[in-house]
Amino acid sequence: MNRLLASLATAAVGIPMLAGVAQLPRVGAPGAPVHTHVAAQYLAGSPDATGAENVVTGVLLNYRAFDTFGEVMIIFAALAAVLAVLSPVAEAIGMPKDQPSGTEHARHRRAPPVSPIVAFVLRLTAPFIIAFAVWMMLKGHLTPGGGFQGGAMIGALLILLSIMLERDNLWPRVPERLVRGLQAAAPLAFGVVALVGVGLTGAVLALPASPAGHGLRELMMLTLEAGIGIGGAAIILGLFLAIRGD
Amino acid sequence: MDALWWNLDYVAAVILFCIGLYTVVARNNLIKKLLGLNIMETAVFAFIVTTGSVDGGAAPLVGADALPPFASPVPHAMVLTGIVVAVSVTALALSLIVAVYRDHRTLEADELREID
Amino acid sequence: MRHWLPAVVMFPLVAAALTPFLALSRAHVARAWALLVVALTSVGAVFLTSRLVIEGPFSYAMGDWSRPYGIELRFDGFSAAILFVCLIHLLVGVYSSHYAARVISATRLPWYYTLLLLNFGGMIGFAVTGDLFNLFIFMELVSVSSYALVAIGGGRVAPLAAFRYLLAGASSSVLILFCIGVIYALTGSLNMADVSLRLGETQAPAPIALALGGLAAGFMVKAALFPLHAWLPDAHASAPSPISAVLSGVVVKLGILGLLRVYQVFHDAGGAQVAALNEVLVWLGAASILAGAFFALFQDEIKLILAYSTISNIGYIVLGLGLASQQSITGATIHVLNHALIKATLFLAAGALIHQTGCRTLHELRGAGHAMPFTSFALAVGLLAVIGVPPLAGFPGKWYVALGALSAGRPAFAMLVVLSAVLVSAYSARILNALYFQPPSHERILATHEAPTSMLLPVLILAALCLVAGVLARFPAALVGPAVARLIAPAAG
Repeated sequence: MNRLLASLATAAVGIPMLAGVAQLPRVGAPGAPVHTHVAAQYLAGSPDATGAENVVTGVLLNYRAFDTFGEVMIIFAALAAVLAVLSPVAEAIGMPKDQPSGTEHARHRRAPPVSPIVAFVLRLTAPFIIAFAVWMMLKGHLTPGGGFQGGAMIGALLILLSIMLERDNLWPRVPERLVRGLQAAAPLAFGVVALVGVGLTGAVLALPASPAGHGLRELMMLTLEAGIGIGGAAIILGLFLAIRGD
Repeated sequence: MDALWWNLDYVAAVILFCIGLYTVVARNNLIKKLLGLNIMETAVFAFIVTTGSVDGGAAPLVGADALPPFASPVPHAMVLTGIVVAVSVTALALSLIVAVYRDHRTLEADELREID
Repeated sequence: MRHWLPAVVMFPLVAAALTPFLALSRAHVARAWALLVVALTSVGAVFLTSRLVIEGPFSYAMGDWSRPYGIELRFDGFSAAILFVCLIHLLVGVYSSHYAARVISATRLPWYYTLLLLNFGGMIGFAVTGDLFNLFIFMELVSVSSYALVAIGGGRVAPLAAFRYLLAGASSSVLILFCIGVIYALTGSLNMADVSLRLGETQAPAPIALALGGLAAGFMVKAALFPLHAWLPDAHASAPSPISAVLSGVVVKLGILGLLRVYQVFHDAGGAQVAALNEVLVWLGAASILAGAFFALFQDEIKLILAYSTISNIGYIVLGLGLASQQSITGATIHVLNHALIKATLFLAAGALIHQTGCRTLHELRGAGHAMPFTSFALAVGLLAVIGVPPLAGFPGKWYVALGALSAGRPAFAMLVVLSAVLVSAYSARILNALYFQPPSHERILATHEAPTSMLLPVLILAALCLVAGVLARFPAALVGPAVARLIAPAAG
């Protein structure tokens, strides 16, 4: 019965999709509106208009920076959501306490030993990974890369390090205010850049146009990239620690 | 029919979307439903990026020695943003699954329906 | 100040990100901060609405890029709904002072206020944006915070209800994103006004129908229109009561506002397709009215009755949209706003009852009307309003929709609107009967006393608004009138 319902729903959705998709402009057609309308202007204008040779970064941080702001808020919302859902319930008055708290299990759990090979490789490569991630963050407007990519790499590295160091209690105790501040780095960066934009050019999230504000524009873009990267890494680590049960 | 052949990439994305949708509705296990959702999301991202492709096009990096034609940068930006959104939703979904498992010790939808 | 429009979106969101930093684990700091932020944003909302009244719809170009190269924010008649969003969030914030501290565990409480602010900012962003992809982003922000807020109270049902809500919501979001991709492939642009123009010139009926149908279907799931409503009852009923008020009053209207934006975008594009969509909406709206009221009759848990009532009221709104006349769409919009007031009253009052007595079902709540007179009075006012008794808040919206049905030559639907009030009266009578006319069956009812002021005050304010909003309906009607007229004007070209 469920299968039948699923098949009907899938067909009801899939057949109109096929019919609709057939009449779209041919894939790769150079004359399609996708290439002749807004995108043509973006490609023609860069890098003078945006200061970014990587036009995708130009779109993300300049033309459609507001979208990127929304996206950064969504990652933060994910962290808030996960912590809201998984934090222990024990202290609430009147809540049934019949289920064991997962975090207590986690604390008493014996972490499996980390192989010395893994520890060695991780210690060896960590500095290179960090260097590469930072380079990707800061050069994202010239080559493929950017804040998200660099942040994801650092976040993944931090997760690996937390697994490796946790067993020997070498994982550093970071004050909570600093953690929360780092997690809010991306929205904060956007807020700052938005205000500066208003001050300099009279529009929110506007980066000053070349050639007068060239250096300042690059600085503002780097601020955004760094904020996105640091914030993203902190949030990814926070998500992992929350779901693992810390 | 010809039109479907020219837009085969789109057709593939649609088929993938349908596989994902079927999985979300038909599968019993909550994690499998979540995977179906991820398949749907991937299908949509593939579709959107493909709309930006151009015959013989290069990545939209307009450095000094780059030659047109370039792929459209907007779909790339859309998908980058979309991936982050999808990851956020998946993270929340997984934590909800953890919470459900802690409460009910099962992840099968039919068993969970009995409990309600 | 020229920059109120982006400020009203960015300020609550950046403030939300700062909430954990400022408050750490101290919930009272988080609460005070959240209330301050909502209050300041409300000031901005008032300024924006007054500017709308004086000069008509206006835009703001983010990043100083002109349309369609940048993202455009646009404040029109429908965007003025943010006034109601601010009001509901303010009252819910005050209500949460006492309620949330008792119901939600201390470790989660700062995140509760963070998520509320994110939900608030996201909804405002959704209402004022003029860009399709931006619309998707803010829709997702509202959705993610909503899923988490359903589950934040814990309990046996809430996480599962939140997960089902997530599956339905995320699937519909993905469908909406797909359709945005189709629109982009057709027009090369994401700005709503620009797309609207270009779609009118495009000769491609199948993708236009696909995009319209897919967007409509996606937003119908968000609005919990029958038969895509299954996720709503458990989610709204098992959430903490102030969250239920926000979900039923504000978040579910995201689907309705989305449908309105879709209508605006496809205005010039496909006359036949839009007409077909209208027909679908009329029938599904009617089905929702009946299904919601019918299911509500058989529920014993008070919050489930209210959740099904939401489904029923969405039916009136969608019926109004589908009838596509000036009166019916105006009625639908008025009901969007008034239903928010009514449902917030009902959920907050019910929440107070449940909180004080510990009882959730009608059977257990018998006699509570005498133990908690003010709360029950507010609940009674809300129920009278939801029936549609004139001149309370529920009347004008339904009245205009019925008038619209008559003027569109479909008297059967006008009859439906009027007669469905009988069903609503039936389940309202059940509730009032249990509260006032039955002897208490539970010893807790005898020992219970009235709700604390921080919970009672918002409830009474909302009940008072239910009483007057019906009479004052001509103000929102005047506000959205021009936008509605633009919506139903014959297509250009």
